[in-house]
Amino acid sequence: MMMIRQAAKKALGLTSRQSTPCSVGIFRSYHENVIDHYDNPRNVGSFDKNDPTVGTGLVGAPACGDVMKLQIKVDEKTGQIVDARFKTFGCGSAIASSSVATEWVKGKAMEEVLTIKNTEIAKHLSLPPVKLHCSMLAEDAIKAAVKDYKEKRVKTGGV
Amino acid sequence: MGLIGDRRIRPKERETTTVFATEPPWLLQLQGFSGNYRGLSSSLKPFSILQEDEFHKLANVTMNHLLEKIEDYGDNVQIDGFDIDYGNEVLTLKLGSLGTYVLNKQTPNRQIWMSSPVSGPSRFDWDREANAWIYRRTEAKLHKLLEEELESLCGEPIQLS
Repeated sequence: MMMIRQAAKKALGLTSRQSTPCSVGIFRSYHENVIDHYDNPRNVGSFDKNDPTVGTGLVGAPACGDVMKLQIKVDEKTGQIVDARFKTFGCGSAIASSSVATEWVKGKAMEEVLTIKNTEIAKHLSLPPVKLHCSMLAEDAIKAAVKDYKEKRVKTGGV
Repeated sequence: MGLIGDRRIRPKERETTTVFATEPPWLLQLQGFSGNYRGLSSSLKPFSILQEDEFHKLANVTMNHLLEKIEDYGDNVQIDGFDIDYGNEVLTLKLGSLGTYVLNKQTPNRQIWMSSPVSGPSRFDWDREANAWIYRRTEAKLHKLLEEELESLCGEPIQLS
């Protein structure tokens, strides 16, 4: 039932913000933080994945409805993440979760971003129970990007 | 858990890993995704791929079993706003101000996904040896986890296994 309602909302677009609730029942809409990330996505795009300073995390599966690609650009000397980009195929909550993830990793050390928890992302976006999986995917994307960067460094003989 | 499996079996992992790929790489490439397919954890224990009809059988039995047991449980505990609903293969358990559980079948991954107000999101795979749904990251069993959480939330023990 919830999935049909959400699918209908998606089909109608996120106009729920302005419209008044139905006369019967609870009208659940996306939290304003989610809508903000949807209307003003941060850091959409790609880096060259062959760039040695770039780590790419690709998680999810189209059949499940969610795929996230999150890329980080790392300063080799300091190990700090200087920039991030994302591309996400999925629902508004998935897009917002990965957008938040790119905002939060910028300017942080790699070890620090590994401590970003899906619960923090979910709290920031007030995600409903059925969308908690999106925030976990975003956490996984961060970890995958860091892992990829580290593996690339090992391959090229770096630290 | 929505992993894109690593189709290149690396020599050192040959003995230990068969990662379940949810989509074949050629299909992903068709859809515009290219490049690195990596499993997130290389410590996955080997598990055989469930056929879809077997998955549905196992998962449906589990979901219906949980529905029945938790319905009975609801009759015995006094929780304001207790409600349980199973529609479109999604099991929604409302515990009033204590939070909401959502359990659903994730057929492409052959998994049961759970969203818990206590432990957040988790994704369970069927483990033939253990005869149970297991969340590989924590080795938690679905039934046991629910038993523990429901008892701590509602104050009454529940037998789900």
